[in-house]
Amino acid sequence: MRSDSKLRRSTLLRAAAAAALVAGLGMGVAQAAGVSLVETGSSLLYPLFNIWVPHFEKAHPGVKVTTQSTGSGAGIAQAISGVVQVGASDAYMSDQQIKQNPDILNIPLAISAQAINYNLPGLNNKHIKFSGPVLAGIYTGKITKWNDPAIEKLNPGLKLPDHQIIPVHRTDGSGDTFIFSQYLDFSTPSWASTVGYGTTVSWPAVQGGLGANGNPGMVEALKQNPYAIAYIGVSFYKEVAEAHLGKAMLLNKAGKFVLPTAKTISAAADQLVGKTPADERISLVFAPGAMSYPIINYEYAIVNSKQKDAATAKAVKDLLTWASNEGNNESYLKQVEFKALPPAVKKLSAAQIAKIGS
Amino acid sequence: MSLPDDPPASAVQIKRKRSRFELGLTGIALLIPIALFVIVLFLGQYAWQAIGFNGIRFIGTIDWSLGNLYMNPVVTRGYSVPLGANYGILAFIVGTLFSSFLALLFALPVAVGTAIFLAEAVPERLRPALSLLVELVAVVPSVVFGLWGIYVLAPLISHYIGPGITAVLGFIPFFNIHNSTGSGFGLLAAAIVLALMITPIIATTLYDALRQVPRELRESAVALGATRFEVVIKTMLPTVRVTLVGGVVLGLGRALGETMAVLMVSGGALNYLPKTLFTPISTMAAFILSQLDSALGDPTNMAVKSLAEIALVLFLITLAVNALARVIVRGATFVRNV
Repeated sequence: MRSDSKLRRSTLLRAAAAAALVAGLGMGVAQAAGVSLVETGSSLLYPLFNIWVPHFEKAHPGVKVTTQSTGSGAGIAQAISGVVQVGASDAYMSDQQIKQNPDILNIPLAISAQAINYNLPGLNNKHIKFSGPVLAGIYTGKITKWNDPAIEKLNPGLKLPDHQIIPVHRTDGSGDTFIFSQYLDFSTPSWASTVGYGTTVSWPAVQGGLGANGNPGMVEALKQNPYAIAYIGVSFYKEVAEAHLGKAMLLNKAGKFVLPTAKTISAAADQLVGKTPADERISLVFAPGAMSYPIINYEYAIVNSKQKDAATAKAVKDLLTWASNEGNNESYLKQVEFKALPPAVKKLSAAQIAKIGS
Repeated sequence: MSLPDDPPASAVQIKRKRSRFELGLTGIALLIPIALFVIVLFLGQYAWQAIGFNGIRFIGTIDWSLGNLYMNPVVTRGYSVPLGANYGILAFIVGTLFSSFLALLFALPVAVGTAIFLAEAVPERLRPALSLLVELVAVVPSVVFGLWGIYVLAPLISHYIGPGITAVLGFIPFFNIHNSTGSGFGLLAAAIVLALMITPIIATTLYDALRQVPRELRESAVALGATRFEVVIKTMLPTVRVTLVGGVVLGLGRALGETMAVLMVSGGALNYLPKTLFTPISTMAAFILSQLDSALGDPTNMAVKSLAEIALVLFLITLAVNALARVIVRGATFVRNV
């Protein structure tokens, strides 16, 4: 009797311990279900991801996203190697890269644009007009003075100074170099046949040219060097405005001069939505249409359609779906001057996101 | 019975212990050369194809282009590479050597002066604080020097130092700022930033050596009627000359390999050689960093392999500089002994 009760008590204790153990295990399982994703790549997308992540994590408890700014090339390379789940890139992958890595998807998350800025004492409040061929002339050293006839012809009535132009380019690999050199490539045959386009190009030796590191370096180079000109992503509009730099009007494919505004960027995107293929790898540079701003691009997430397990795959799908829908709200994009994806592109992205599995 | 003839057990143990200890030491000492060997082996093996593709053109030409990474690769000289790919690094070699030796030229007098000042002229009570200050400069992260270079040094060169040099030496094209962008970013900015980084390295090395000079040596020099200046110049500096060269080699090694600070102030020259003191340059280390991201996009991988080849060449240059310094030291000792 006594021993019986003792036995019962010990059984009870054991059962309780087992229950506690199971509960503990259960909690462990629940914690293991939390997925941790790493995003790396484009320094242009990095600020947007940092704005997105807290909101996304709130909407999807259990998913933790770490962001890093390492450059578009690293974003693509690390998404391919599987070091990260989401690579961020300003440039889409080349045909050859896709051929080598057929499982990798390029999914647009937003639309960005680039401004041509300059520091021209006394004229920074005027929007000086440039065309692709004139910019190509400046960056190849064929046009060296601000009052060159080619520039004066585009800007009748403006008193341009007889001063050397300092063309500034990025020394680091950059999506900004990619779309800027594409604008020159698509609009100027002589540039296409000699320099071409890429995230770095072999800049022609221009006596008096200057290289700068990153968009902050570009802004600083312009600030410190009167008579300099540079290409800068629109997300840096605040820094550019603070430095009182000039913003250029660019000649588009239809022969009209346009500034980068919400209207002209959307107009350009709308022109090419219909042409965007199922894998969404397309340049939006030099779009047709009278209202189209010529230097815009999709900002891409580079992801492997084969993730390591179902939970990771679901988390990646959730993140990309959230980013290209809720994440495309004006309240987020406005902070970095990005523009939302058109509905037709969101549909294409959804189809690509659906391919992600394990 | 024959107790005294027995080999003392403890002696054997000590011997075995020592041999084990020695073995351990040897192993640890070998780690560094092995690591070095492995790095060189890896670089050489990784860059092998690039070495074959580039040949001697690599170090003899100044045109660098990754080619068109968005078109299908073509076969050039038997290797599959992007269309228009061409890798010539002469401009980066020149930029590296030029900026480093210029930095040494600036740093050496300052460093020697600082070391002598700390060792000889500073009151004993202030010495620890002042030498700590010099050592602190040595541990400032290079990116901080880079930022300072962008926001302070470059404008300073552009507005004051550059025009100043031009006013005095402007008749020589090399010293005329008007032959460049005048932006302040370039060879001089890189050299000054590097000089700041290597001055404390040379100064602290030399200072430590000066403190080690035997007291008798100084006293005998003084007894012979040498002035304080003569004691330092004729007795102390010759004694520490080997350490001085060692410090210079250390500093030069740092300058040759410095990446971030140089990248931030050098102006990122591509496809041309510096014509003036104010012209933008690129150094090999900075160039590897700035190109790597784009090179990763090369489907043939030749771009990254060529960057590895740059690293290999940089390594060889550093090795050559080191060897040269050793030869100089030996030469100097030899001359003295004769």
